[in-house]
Amino acid sequence: MNFMYFTFLFFVFGALITFWKKTSYLMATFASVFAFITSIVGLNAPFSSGMYKIFDGFELSVGIDHTSSIFLLIASISWFAIALYSIDYGVNYSKKMPIFLNAAFFGMFMVLTAKDAITFMIGWEIATIFSYLLIMEHKHSFKEAFEFLAFGEVSTISLIIAFASLYFKNHSLSFVGTHGTWLFLLMATIAFMTKMGIFPLHTWLIGAHSRAPSNVSAFLSAPLTLMGVYGLVRALSISGQPEWWGIMAMIFGGISAFWGALQAVAAKGLKILPAYSTIENDGTILATLGLSITAFAFQINVLGEFAMLTTLIVTFSHVITKTLLFLAVGHAKEALNEESIDDVRGVWKAVGKIPAFSMVISALSFSVFPPLIGYVAEWMTLETLFQSYKIPSMTARITAAFIGILLALAMGMAAFSMIKLAGYTALGYDHEKRAKKIPHFNMNLAEIILISVIAGAGFLSPLVVKLFGYKKFLFGLLGVPKPFLIVSSHPIFGVVSPTFLAIVACVLGIFPAIFYLLKKKRVRRVDAWNGAIALKEGEYFSAPAYSFTLEYILRKVYATKEIKSGNKRYVSVKDVIYDMYYGLNRAVKSISNVLSATLMNGHIYSYVLYTMIVFIFIFFISR
Amino acid sequence: MKWWPIVGITKKLTKNETYDSKIAVEPLKLFKKSFHLYMIDVGNSNQLNFEFYALHTPRYNIHRFGIYFAASPRHADLLVVLGNPTPQMVKPLKETIRQMPEPFGILLINGCDETGVDLENLKLPNVVATMRGCPTASEILAVLLKISGRTD
Amino acid sequence: MKKLLGVYHTNSDSEESLMIQEDGKIHIEFGNSKLFKNSTLIHERDKVIRDPLGDDNDVTGEGVFDFRYGPVTAGVGKAGVYHLFTYGERILRVKIDPSYNRREVDKRMEGKSIEESLNLAQNICGNFCVSHSLAFSRAVEEALEIEVSNHVKILRAVALELERMYNHMYVISRLAAAAAQLVLTSHLQGLFEDLLVVNEKFSGSRFLRNFIDISGVKFIPTIDVLKDVSENVQKISTNFSKLFEQSLASRNYIDRLHSTAVLDAKSAQEIGLTGPSLRACNVLEDLRKGEEVYSSLRIVTDEEGDSLSRMEVRAHEIIESAKFIVESVQKLEIEDRNVNEFLPSNDGRGEGLGACESPSGSVVYHVDIEGGKVKKLYVSTPSLFGFAAITHSMCENNIFTDFPFAVESYGVNFADAAR
Repeated sequence: MNFMYFTFLFFVFGALITFWKKTSYLMATFASVFAFITSIVGLNAPFSSGMYKIFDGFELSVGIDHTSSIFLLIASISWFAIALYSIDYGVNYSKKMPIFLNAAFFGMFMVLTAKDAITFMIGWEIATIFSYLLIMEHKHSFKEAFEFLAFGEVSTISLIIAFASLYFKNHSLSFVGTHGTWLFLLMATIAFMTKMGIFPLHTWLIGAHSRAPSNVSAFLSAPLTLMGVYGLVRALSISGQPEWWGIMAMIFGGISAFWGALQAVAAKGLKILPAYSTIENDGTILATLGLSITAFAFQINVLGEFAMLTTLIVTFSHVITKTLLFLAVGHAKEALNEESIDDVRGVWKAVGKIPAFSMVISALSFSVFPPLIGYVAEWMTLETLFQSYKIPSMTARITAAFIGILLALAMGMAAFSMIKLAGYTALGYDHEKRAKKIPHFNMNLAEIILISVIAGAGFLSPLVVKLFGYKKFLFGLLGVPKPFLIVSSHPIFGVVSPTFLAIVACVLGIFPAIFYLLKKKRVRRVDAWNGAIALKEGEYFSAPAYSFTLEYILRKVYATKEIKSGNKRYVSVKDVIYDMYYGLNRAVKSISNVLSATLMNGHIYSYVLYTMIVFIFIFFISR
Repeated sequence: MKWWPIVGITKKLTKNETYDSKIAVEPLKLFKKSFHLYMIDVGNSNQLNFEFYALHTPRYNIHRFGIYFAASPRHADLLVVLGNPTPQMVKPLKETIRQMPEPFGILLINGCDETGVDLENLKLPNVVATMRGCPTASEILAVLLKISGRTD
Repeated sequence: MKKLLGVYHTNSDSEESLMIQEDGKIHIEFGNSKLFKNSTLIHERDKVIRDPLGDDNDVTGEGVFDFRYGPVTAGVGKAGVYHLFTYGERILRVKIDPSYNRREVDKRMEGKSIEESLNLAQNICGNFCVSHSLAFSRAVEEALEIEVSNHVKILRAVALELERMYNHMYVISRLAAAAAQLVLTSHLQGLFEDLLVVNEKFSGSRFLRNFIDISGVKFIPTIDVLKDVSENVQKISTNFSKLFEQSLASRNYIDRLHSTAVLDAKSAQEIGLTGPSLRACNVLEDLRKGEEVYSSLRIVTDEEGDSLSRMEVRAHEIIESAKFIVESVQKLEIEDRNVNEFLPSNDGRGEGLGACESPSGSVVYHVDIEGGKVKKLYVSTPSLFGFAAITHSMCENNIFTDFPFAVESYGVNFADAAR
């Protein structure tokens, strides 16, 4: 329990000693380590601090239970990497950044350890507001930051309504021993779905993620959306598991995953692509959570638990991998000072081998490459969906089948978009551009640690499953000793063992490797074959060209337009949801114009009339 | 609608011919049964291109000798240089040779037009045979067979 | 409509000697080449070929890049470069660089004797051997006022039609190969090789090399040979027409060609396109039309102006040419075999214009002879305008997979364009 206080303390301390930027980030790193230890402690022995009474009816309580430990474990790894990375990365940013970063981490830690609604709300608001300030750290990002704040407040208002309904039902704001109504669940879901950037509430995420400084992007994309998932799991534990919620979550999750993957394919911006990938992953998380809840609603507990485990593993995979991806992309972006995928070619040569390797590893993990953690996550997702036939409700089964199609499409397109990202940036042809010199020791260290976590967690995924407390899904079969086989159901439905897959691949690889090393062939290096003349700048196959075929085939979905103006030619695609918000924006503006012209027109009579009506209205209500 | 397989079996498109050449050749015996060649036009009058197109036809049926045309010099065992290079094609020719995997050979066919850079001055490596003038498809095939080391 | 095919002499802007083709006749006119839309194309023909009717600047924009195809590729197989500007799949603009195949043959002909020049003329393009040597011979004959006997005219026409047949067969088999019609391709390739064998029988060369001579032919085939040639050509034509009819029944072959690289008649005329590609745009224009020996020839046209039309025009021309050869051989049997011997002399002088309808369009030579030597020479080749038509017709509505169908259907090559 002490570690929890240490964490709080170090975050506060880090926020205060902002005069030494590096030390401040270092404090955040230490705090993350303590957070990690807290989570490990919490996994084995949940604890609670009891109430801290501030004044009557306003009590704070913190503590860790099994659910929050898992989420804290995931978050702390991400925090650690981001804080470590920021030691170097933050050099180019102001001294305010470490305050904001420490404070935002503090807020998130509070959310994860909150035992009651008040603490939760305080943490939630701290995290939101300091995230807003962090986005503002990047120049010319006011619009995106404001959009983030607006959506953040939508989620806060929804949360307030949800907690109010919780209070009216139970006359308590504690998370323990209370029961939520459908209103609580609905409003909480809206709040958390906004935070996760679920379709159609995702537009804020794209602007904010792509505009923010890269360490902030990583922080927004990985730990902050994690708060949304945690919130949902917490809300469901309070309100029970209704079938309608499961089906709704599957629908929104599936569509979100599909939409995110679809838009990621067409993305041209270096950080827009991972941002859409975040939406896709969050969609997958929501869909599997939905299936889990549906299964629980029909008392199919084995499937429910497996789906919950899937949710956790997908979340784990998403948070770690996306953190790495944003950090690596940010590394390259900062070093080359470019925005689009096309302009950041040849990271391997121009920036460094570690960021390039990080991009490749994270892209491979997102493209379901065994035995990385992304592979385990996607296998579990598909296994969960395959088992949806066990649910007796026809509606749920049909929904799950269609959502399965959407998710499968999303996975395919995710691989497509990840090849686009890593293929062009990390492995692409060299631009002859050289990176500017920035201190990168800690950046590289953070990336290496995350790479090891992705590879290690994939390789030892049975241990991760065990750590999360789902021992019943570990098994031994056909020479694979217990617990190195993950099974998806009891009786056994499907099995996978990334550990053994990796071992077999290694053993099979040893002989060719020895053969190759002993033979010592003479190596002759030549340019890539391209019609006998080396490629010039302007002859490289561009990244937009890579995805044009899909953009053209799905031109109705993308609203693809081939623009021609003089000698300038390009393809424009858009996320049509932006149009929806644009329309909404226009409607609000015109309504407010009309209202200001009629109601608030400056005449004393209309004000008197307005006051009268309101008075009468309140009079009748309060009577 | 015809019965194409039956048409294919009954109709013999391949010429009945024996191929023999007097041109001096250094055989590349490694590729007796699978001989892949890549042809590069370095600026001939297009006649040699046509002659090689004729070599593609079923009248010669070069696949029966295991001779194939590769789509990239990186897959080829023999580079066939058609014509004398124009000044602009010297660099691409050298680059193409650089891309050939070892062991490889080069067959030079000069063509009828005495234009361009003299191939002998370029000192290309691994030249296994040189054909002067505009050889016919049969003559080219004979030389190819000799280079691959086949006697039939 | 007047078409500018070349500018062979420039004094000032308004006093240029222009090679004009109008209604299937070639003549010389003095005037300003700038009034023709393809003037830049002709003046810069050795550098790069751009769309004469389009914008001269390169396209730019997000994701737009130059997909360079060449100079060494297995797909084209010839020394030249296609620059395809694209943002993926769609071809936005095309630039063609034939300079890799520039051998300066026409320049080297200047100062050479007439025989040497005749030999060099064949080297401009090996597969248009007859066309080039015939056009050159006609130019010399006009310059030196040499009469050609009717017998020779017919023999030359037969040679020209044989050349047309194998070239058209080549183009159609390339198109079939591009559409992966393997059976059809193999059969057409077989017929192509058969035609080369016929050529060898007729002239001793598989590509009819060294057949045409000034004022005559170098070699007169015997009646037996001619009969044999006629029989073989007839057989090939029959086989081909069968294959052609069957190929038209294959939807997935026709779909690849239909509405690919569409060219309208007006643009084609402005570009200066001649030959079967122009006739595929429904313009009845052919240099053979005015010639006496071709009185019985039917000129084929088609309406659509796409790759399919061009293929069909060529297919019909194969059949028509075969018919013409069979008829001509019958005529040759009764004709007197008198050939004027050409005696080279050192005092011949004069200017002459000679043209002929090659398999891909008009080949035009203008020669200036002094002291028995070629003093100045200008040659206009059909491939230049064919490539220009490719750059024009392939933009905007075509994608990468249309490329082989567009390029092959014009029957052009870099050797002819670059000279």
